[in-house]
Amino acid sequence: MKYLRALLSLAVVTGLLFVLNRPLGPAPALGPFFNPFSGFWQNAENHNKSAPSQLTLAGLKNEVIVKYDDNGVPHIFAQNDEDLYFAQGYVLAQDRLWQMDFYSRVAAGRLSEVMGPLALDFDKYNRRLQLPEGAEKIAEALMHDPTSKMIAESYAAGVNAYIDQLTYKDYAIEYKILGYKPEAWSPLKTALVEMVMRKDMNARSDDYMMSNALSKYGKATIDDVFPDYPVEESPIVPVGTKWDFVPVAVPKVPEMLQASVNARLSIEAENPGIGSNNWAVHGSRTATGLPLLSNDPHLGLSLPSIWYQMQLVSPSVNVYGVCVPGWPGIGIGFNKDIAWGMTNVGSDVFDFYQIKFKDATRKEYQYDGGWRPVTAKINEFKVKGSATILQDTVHYTHHGPIMYDEGQKPFFNDTPVGHALTWVGPVAQGNSLKALYLINRGKNYEDYRAILPFLASPAFNVVFASNQNDIAITSAGHLPLKWKEQGKFILDGSNPLHDWRAWIPVEQTPYVRNPQRGFVSSANQFPADLTYPYYLGWKFAPAERGIRINEMLASMQKATVDSLRLMQNDNFNVEARRILPDLLKILATDPSLKSNQGYEILAKWNLKNDPDQMGATIFERWVRELRLAIWEDDFPSQDPKKPMLLPTRDRTWAMLQKQPTAKWFDDNRTPNKVETANEIVITSFKATLDSLAAKHGPINPATWNWGIAKNTTIKHLVPLFSAFSRKGVYNGGGGNIVNATKEGHGPSWRMVVELDKSWPKAYGLYPGGQSGNPGSALYDNMIDKWAKGELNELVFLKSKDEKHPKIVAETLLKK
Amino acid sequence: MLYILIILLSAIAQFLGPWWLMALVCFALCFWKSSKAASAFGVAFLAITTLWIGFATFQNIANEGIISQKIADIFKLPNAFLLITVTGLIGGIVGGFSGLAGYYCRKALA
Repeated sequence: MKYLRALLSLAVVTGLLFVLNRPLGPAPALGPFFNPFSGFWQNAENHNKSAPSQLTLAGLKNEVIVKYDDNGVPHIFAQNDEDLYFAQGYVLAQDRLWQMDFYSRVAAGRLSEVMGPLALDFDKYNRRLQLPEGAEKIAEALMHDPTSKMIAESYAAGVNAYIDQLTYKDYAIEYKILGYKPEAWSPLKTALVEMVMRKDMNARSDDYMMSNALSKYGKATIDDVFPDYPVEESPIVPVGTKWDFVPVAVPKVPEMLQASVNARLSIEAENPGIGSNNWAVHGSRTATGLPLLSNDPHLGLSLPSIWYQMQLVSPSVNVYGVCVPGWPGIGIGFNKDIAWGMTNVGSDVFDFYQIKFKDATRKEYQYDGGWRPVTAKINEFKVKGSATILQDTVHYTHHGPIMYDEGQKPFFNDTPVGHALTWVGPVAQGNSLKALYLINRGKNYEDYRAILPFLASPAFNVVFASNQNDIAITSAGHLPLKWKEQGKFILDGSNPLHDWRAWIPVEQTPYVRNPQRGFVSSANQFPADLTYPYYLGWKFAPAERGIRINEMLASMQKATVDSLRLMQNDNFNVEARRILPDLLKILATDPSLKSNQGYEILAKWNLKNDPDQMGATIFERWVRELRLAIWEDDFPSQDPKKPMLLPTRDRTWAMLQKQPTAKWFDDNRTPNKVETANEIVITSFKATLDSLAAKHGPINPATWNWGIAKNTTIKHLVPLFSAFSRKGVYNGGGGNIVNATKEGHGPSWRMVVELDKSWPKAYGLYPGGQSGNPGSALYDNMIDKWAKGELNELVFLKSKDEKHPKIVAETLLKK
Repeated sequence: MLYILIILLSAIAQFLGPWWLMALVCFALCFWKSSKAASAFGVAFLAITTLWIGFATFQNIANEGIISQKIADIFKLPNAFLLITVTGLIGGIVGGFSGLAGYYCRKALA
């Protein structure tokens, strides 16, 4: 009996330890996780914690000093560049290791290794997009240049010096919950992070939906409804600017592909808006007589934030700004002499090719009058919770991968089955580390132009200002040299004339320096008007933000930092100014709307998407409904078989104002009735009010105000961890508003720099915090200020000896 | 006395090594000191619960409750107080059974 009791009790203890020491399905191992000496309680960061005063790190050449300001921003003072990038990697990893590891796993298509089968289709898609191949190509270029090699390797060594110190209790909370460990960093992982950016900026396409529309309506109608340039536009390079280069020959337009589009595909709503604003004001229009520069890149809002603030100082550089975790150098920022910023160039760099196979075996495809072999590549996936290695075979043509074979279900609905993909991501090489190295140290306009050849992809509108009173903007990147409308529709994979053949010469991408009007700006709109000799794409971001920015800048004299800050937060709705008066006139013709509350609110609205406006809520939802009501019958965007693209809002408003009797207003789903434009406007308005009431209850400011109804949410990178997200951020703005804060997208970093002959002043913040730890007070501390439109004064130290009241801690990194 | 010893030694053990060292501490100390099965379980349970709840509470206060609220949300617990209770229970049960096993093993070898 006594033996049995001993054995039984031992068995219970062993069983308990066994069960508690291993993950239970999606839940982490409860023993280590709850143990306050090692588990999540260790991520409860002490509010009064200060950085250690000394650390010894193998791999440093000399001592490095890291000063922290009260916002958690590190200011790194190194005695050589190797140490500088080593320390950047080390310090970044301290705050954001899990995040950079996550980005690199996304691009490597290795998320399911740690997240399980849920992430498998996403992984397959990313591998099929050739993100890993693209990263290898980038890494190869990095290693080829001694400067970028030094940066990438020093940075990786710094990250790894941090990883080497860690035990389970030090891991980020995400590692503990998901039950995995950080992996060593490498230059290849830095390249993978860059590929995530290329994908986010460039990897969506309208080609298939446009081809469907083309085959139904023919070229003349498509040219009318989907024109290659908007009715209202205010391009980046001012209209009338002379091009000071001799263009290379543009390929001739071959016979258009119109035929047999028979791929299966369905479509989700429109591409999520990746947009941004930047501008620089010449000294002739500022209070100081020297330029001001502003930038707010709009990205998916996430926690941890995509950006991290830093100051990097070595004998060769003193620069402040933000970087993307995993990507060395400063991406957007300023130094003593210059400031620069970026927005996305939305040119069409993602094209599908129709493939004609020889027979059902699909081993050969037609090209240039003959047959070419299809090659196969097998991608392998380890999936968490499964012992077997999964295989995914991808077929390649010389155009690129056939994204999905017949019978496979695409991850994104806008990917046509059986088509090959050519996009800039895996083919553009460039050297972004070198570009950042150079601009971080830049002193003048010539230094700025010198970085452009190194920027390949994503293409950026790089705005620039210097304390020599130069301002400039360039749409920089590797842009394919296309014939007009090449890639507006699905291309013919058998016709060599449809291939991408060359790039636009880098010095001939759109740019302008010190224009007459005294400012430069971009908001993802058309880089140039139709006098530009090359075709960049038929559709860019809607013009409204650019129009508003250019109007405000044109009327601005003696601009100050605060006038630019107010501009960043401007909520004026240019689209409403354009179309609402006409819409209201139509609504006024309906007697039943005479005393309608929704109508009255809209009629009295101040045309601003301020958070306390109900009019903004009604207008934003209504124009969405109205566009669908006009076009969905003719260009069914939701049709699972032959989805088409909806014509742009610009085209829609032009039609409403200038062609009110156009046939498109009739709803062809009601065969016995011909609807007029007025009827469509009125019924869609009533429908909008009904659906708003269904969602938000009867009209009242507490639920209908724009700041509430929009419900901006800043999500953690893992959607499951909603507890680590911030919901209900009260803010105005909208997609086509200068303050481009939408439900889940918006200004991911706001910066204003006042250039100066001796020392610049700068202001900025982002909707997040420096720490990636949800258990830190610095995880989301900037969100409330951001939502209110305020900026922090940035601490830009002249030297390590400068005493600054905001510096609260200092760590000495010893070799 | 046993209670204090378990708290002290298991705190040191967990500070230096993995969490399950506390099971060894409870086992060994109860093997050595316990006089009854009920008290072996009870004292070890209470000692580990005290230690885990105490240390978790200390960290929670220093952190002003930021992480505990979020973790409670993830585990669908209504508040941080319950999260601390769960923390104590997980530790306590392992500690208690380890102490009991220690006592029974001594009995078996006696």
